[in-house]
Amino acid sequence: MEWSVGENQEIYSVVLSNDGEAMSLSSLTKDGNEMVAPNLQISSDDFPGRIVVVTEGTPKFAHVARVGDDWWIHLDGRVHVVRGHEKGGQKGQDSDSGLTAPMPGTILEVLVKEGQRVREGQTLMVMEAMKMEHKIQAPGGGEVSLIHFREGERVDMGSVLIELAD
Amino acid sequence: MFPDWMQGAPNQFDTVLVANRGEIAVRVLRAVKEAGLRAVAVYSEPDSESLHVEIADEAILLPEGPLSENYLNQEAIIEAAKSSGSGAIHPGYGFLSERADFARAVSSNDIVWIGPGAESIEVMGDKISARSRMISSGVPVIPGDEVSIPEDGGHLGPLAVAAAKVGYPLLLKASAGGGGKGMRVVREPKMLRTEYEAAAREAAAAFGDGTVYVERLLTGARHVEIQVLSDSRGNCIHLNERDCSLQRRHQKVIEEAPSPAVSGLVRESMGKAAVMAAKAVNYVGAGTVEFLLSSKGEFYFLEMNTRLQVEHPVTEMITGVDLVQKQLEIAAGLEMGISQEEVTISGHAIEARIYAEDATRGFLPAIGRLSTWIAPSGPGIRVDSGVRQGDEVTVNFDPMLAKLVVHAPTRKAAIRRLDSALSNFVALGVVTNIGFLRNAASHPAFLSGDITTDLLDSSDISEFSDPDPPAQTLVSIAEAALRMGLDKANHGVPGNPVDEHTGHSGDPFRTLSRSYP
Repeated sequence: MEWSVGENQEIYSVVLSNDGEAMSLSSLTKDGNEMVAPNLQISSDDFPGRIVVVTEGTPKFAHVARVGDDWWIHLDGRVHVVRGHEKGGQKGQDSDSGLTAPMPGTILEVLVKEGQRVREGQTLMVMEAMKMEHKIQAPGGGEVSLIHFREGERVDMGSVLIELAD
Repeated sequence: MFPDWMQGAPNQFDTVLVANRGEIAVRVLRAVKEAGLRAVAVYSEPDSESLHVEIADEAILLPEGPLSENYLNQEAIIEAAKSSGSGAIHPGYGFLSERADFARAVSSNDIVWIGPGAESIEVMGDKISARSRMISSGVPVIPGDEVSIPEDGGHLGPLAVAAAKVGYPLLLKASAGGGGKGMRVVREPKMLRTEYEAAAREAAAAFGDGTVYVERLLTGARHVEIQVLSDSRGNCIHLNERDCSLQRRHQKVIEEAPSPAVSGLVRESMGKAAVMAAKAVNYVGAGTVEFLLSSKGEFYFLEMNTRLQVEHPVTEMITGVDLVQKQLEIAAGLEMGISQEEVTISGHAIEARIYAEDATRGFLPAIGRLSTWIAPSGPGIRVDSGVRQGDEVTVNFDPMLAKLVVHAPTRKAAIRRLDSALSNFVALGVVTNIGFLRNAASHPAFLSGDITTDLLDSSDISEFSDPDPPAQTLVSIAEAALRMGLDKANHGVPGNPVDEHTGHSGDPFRTLSRSYP
């Protein structure tokens, strides 16, 4: 597996060596470039879903949970999502310039037409999810190339709603 | 069998039905059991494995379908009360808690309504009648006006006139709204139509009513509310204030008591005004009078919530009064047994609302399965939760998962305890606002106590952003967790048996042996 952290695009790969009960970080690359690996040991813990991480001699607990290929990690009072990618997989699979539904819900209003030019931040659609309204706004300027849904239609999370071209 | 405390009460009951779900149903059901009464839950099909169903002595399934068929279905709930032998109904907050017709229907079926009389709900539930009642009782109010818009919303003339009279910027509220739904800020006249249409839609979706109310928007004001308690024998007291100034889009995020902005003098006059407001509607039970407090120390009546509030625990922490227990005693017709002089303030309490929402993406509600849910514990830490590990968070209901309440001798100590408790709150699998709450609670404005209701909406969101993640450590943890096979072992916590066939920890036949934080 190769990894990226949250929304960041950098791809890491990690080599761990078994060190008795613990694992030690032996090498680390970021976007294919070798990095200086910090002193880091990881060992298992009796509490399910929890591991012990020793960074530079300081032990800490981390809680982990797997969701699909992602690992949710609670460390130092913060939650992070580390995304797993198959080795050699396509890097940076952005949904191009498509705008996706952040939540399952219903389209309330479509404010633009296909072929229309829009500016950054312009509201393109209004959808309703969990009884609240959410505006779908243009991430940058461009021309509306395709509108996938009409007013009143239900959409699933992640559905491409509208596509923009430069 | 009636418990000791109810001996000699005029309206005795031995079973209470809680007409709600989520954390408040859990909170009230627990209080009912503590009071020595039988606790009955109602639930809709998607909630059949939820915590409130599990802790109840009896749970009754309501019809399938939209909310109007179950949690808002008055006939079905009254029928459930009758079939379960419930002598009283507690509505919690939201849902039917502020429906006068429901209060009336409950009473006319000879069931005790744990709440104020229908007339009090009616007067306070309608913003215009509440306002005029307050004016005539001498409680100060904000300049504003109510407008009735025709069904189709085509003609906004009356609204424009009212808006011009009140002045911009103004707040547009659905008359039957609440909880930030159906509420819009209009900064200039040309935005009036757009914002009205949005407010009316939200209100109609959530409450089934499209009338609006315009009110001058007081910027830089604090939201301070007073908890009141009245019994049916004519006693009425207040239990000090709660400061709910830290809000996002008019939805409360962090609440505290006492307010860092309220002096003893303001507390006394605000408390008196709140008692006056309650008496003006012959209020019975626990209620909250909300005020806007200007930077100059003037305060204006906003509204009265004729029910238990989400943030009631902070008052319980500083006064030591169990508000739900008091609601039960008052509903039974007993004297409340506490005088104004006996109400004191001990230390400082802060509540943080844990929402399933993504602060980095415009606070979008989040969904998913809570694969890990470990709530913090320790001295001065209280967690009122409606969920547990393994639960599915869906789009069907409000995204509030739990409330974290901390209590400490001083405000500073309470803030430190809050941060530490939030850091130890482990919720994985569903995006929550816990990180955002930590950022907000460490913001200089919050630390100094100088918070206004527009702080979160007017600040640059980057002021509340997370620190950079320790990427190298995190990717190493992910790699190690994968190699250790932790994905297979992570379905439960100790003592929390996992069903061998499905791998789920939510096996309905094993739930009785489970323990919860």
